[in-house]
Amino acid sequence: MLLFRSEEHIDRWCTTWRLPKGALLTLEEGWRLARVWYGEDRRDPAWRRRTLEETEAVFAELGLTSGFWNLR
Amino acid sequence: MYVFEGMQILLHTRGVTLPRVSIDDDVRRHVYDVTMREGTPPSASRLGELASLPPGEVAASLERLAAARMLVLRDGEVLMAGPFSAVPTPFRVTTPTFTCYGNCIWDGLGIAATLQCDVDIDTSCGDCGAAMRVAVRGAEVRGSGTIHFALPARQWWQDIVFT
Repeated sequence: MLLFRSEEHIDRWCTTWRLPKGALLTLEEGWRLARVWYGEDRRDPAWRRRTLEETEAVFAELGLTSGFWNLR
Repeated sequence: MYVFEGMQILLHTRGVTLPRVSIDDDVRRHVYDVTMREGTPPSASRLGELASLPPGEVAASLERLAAARMLVLRDGEVLMAGPFSAVPTPFRVTTPTFTCYGNCIWDGLGIAATLQCDVDIDTSCGDCGAAMRVAVRGAEVRGSGTIHFALPARQWWQDIVFT
């Protein structure tokens, strides 16, 4: 996941590398996702990776509901 | 016999039950304990000293943690203890106590979330290379730019280094 100055720069990068355009997030959206994703203490022996269902719930809670975020 | 398991059996026979801590949980705890204090994951040999384990058991534990997608390894060493990178990347993160590296811009923000502290993330535009700085101050993120997730979520672990 890279940061770009604008969507125009993302379009140019995708063209240069012949990659389809993915999902775009604002910094605020990325920060919200990071806080949920990394907010748990991974030193805790009880910590586990989220299940597929839990991950889907995180995406849904943040409004990331397009097919891009589909895990199945 | 692994010391925690030995202690648990001993205490259990005396009617005391402790939460079960596996070798892998303990190794992961040491990985993150060091990484969150120093900014870089410990070497496998240091993990062995910290967890009082022989090299073979450390290696096997790291492999299991990688198979469970809790860590990413390269040549038997921790390459990624998300959100931290063991090697320099284009996402340099300055915290109040050390400078470290995230694996991507999301992980740069994730370091602020993990450590619960203010950070500055120095990176550059993925297209033109212009320097960009993102700051986290309290619960706020400051800066400009747009994050691009190139791969659909279901493909992230097919090539996690590219992701």
